Amino acid sequence: MKTIIKTTDLTKKFGTKTAVDKLNLEIFEGEIFGLLGVNGAGKTTTIRMLTGLSAVTDGDAHIMDYSIKKDLQEIKRLTNISPQETAVAGNLTVKENLDFMGKIYGMNKEDTKKNIEKLFKSLELEEVQNQKAKTLSGGWQRRLSIAMALITDPNIIFLDEPTLGLDVLARRELWKIISSLKVKVTVILTTHYLDEVEALCDRIAIMAKGNLKALGTAEELKKKAGKEKLEDSFVEIVGGAEE
Amino acid sequence: MRSMTFASRNIKELLRDPLSYVFCLAFPIVMLIVMTIVNSAIPENPIPEGLPIDDSAVMVPTVFQIAKLTPAIAIFGMTFIMLFTCMRVSSDRAGAFLTRLYASPMKGTDYVLGYIFPFALIAFAQIVITYIAGDIIAVVDSKDTFNVLNMLISIPLFIPSVLLFIGTGILFGVLFNDKAAPGVCSAVITGAALLGGIWMDVDQMGGVWLSICDKLPFYYCVRAARFALAGDFQEMLFPLLISSAYAAAIFIISIIAFVKKMKSDKK
Repeated sequence: MKTIIKTTDLTKKFGTKTAVDKLNLEIFEGEIFGLLGVNGAGKTTTIRMLTGLSAVTDGDAHIMDYSIKKDLQEIKRLTNISPQETAVAGNLTVKENLDFMGKIYGMNKEDTKKNIEKLFKSLELEEVQNQKAKTLSGGWQRRLSIAMALITDPNIIFLDEPTLGLDVLARRELWKIISSLKVKVTVILTTHYLDEVEALCDRIAIMAKGNLKALGTAEELKKKAGKEKLEDSFVEIVGGAEE
Repeated sequence: MRSMTFASRNIKELLRDPLSYVFCLAFPIVMLIVMTIVNSAIPENPIPEGLPIDDSAVMVPTVFQIAKLTPAIAIFGMTFIMLFTCMRVSSDRAGAFLTRLYASPMKGTDYVLGYIFPFALIAFAQIVITYIAGDIIAVVDSKDTFNVLNMLISIPLFIPSVLLFIGTGILFGVLFNDKAAPGVCSAVITGAALLGGIWMDVDQMGGVWLSICDKLPFYYCVRAARFALAGDFQEMLFPLLISSAYAAAIFIISIIAFVKKMKSDKK
């Protein structure tokens, strides 16, 4: 398996508080990788550093051989993000939001149009294409937010808490969409929903207090903790760190 | 190119907000009509005998006279452009939309130009509409008309004022959150109206009030606009120079503040 992201002692400090502490992990091409942890574990900070939204305090990370410290502009062209809060332009229609993102990433008209058509089909956005984003429900806005991250054909997509605050049906719909991305795109998602990582992720990194506590498939994590359920395994692994 | 894409998004957001039509376009016209009605109720020579009469007082006896009111309202209308610029920047900052864009290849200048261009476009549309409305009112009210050449020359002379108010909007949008920003802008709108001599002749008032007014840019913006429409370009130069200096300072400060905020958000 080809490594697409490699972090080396990646560290983020806010004053005296260490949000991410010497994080070392490898993410493989085409996998859905989950960053799991309670609030304040350092998941979002890790994603923010990898996308250039937050400066690195120490260490480095390489995305497709580009350093996040030196080659951020190149990395920005290869990656995209769907932030934790829904990030859409409210007064623009669904189609205009997608067109806007394509142009911002320097895509030509033809490719943008082609990708919009593709996303309309795969994310079933066609029926709401002329609707203003602010009039969409939370689930549809989140779906649009993911589409805006996919329009640029990124090699890597970061989904920060993609289903936070959604009802169960909307969550399941988004799960289907995220699953369909597997292999085509490398997906790194943060969440604190255990059922979500179990249903979606090939491998899971459990973080607590800025540290990587465990890494592996859901089965490997259960085995490591000696528990049958992922929830019990998570509590076992994180419990020690939180005490 | 990216700045134009961002500008296009901002202009769509602005044009699809009905309030922007009310405040940026309809409001100046309503104010012109209302103040012309007020003017018609004021005696012809409002300057009491014995008071010193300066040049501007001789030129136009009342600030509500359409030739003096129109450029002042055009400046006043820009305070609403400032409000909308401020609200756009602060609400973009409040949501995650800018976070998404910070992760894109967009650079600092793309953001700043993307905010300036659409609001400048709306500001000039507002000036043109205000002048056309003012001219129509002048014809209807006094069978008089504005000098077309003066009108055409005076419109580009609004550039410093446009940049001053858009720059102030960006600055407040960066400094204040989306809850506080409209309140702060409202205070500036009121201040600009009172201290710019839009609704009263501050030159005639003199004293402490005038000394406060001439420390602020609004007074100079209004004076430059009035002299320009009157075709008194020599008199216009000094206030235009002062308002340009203020505009340059505010504009540079707003760009520095925006880029600094962008960097601090990334810490």
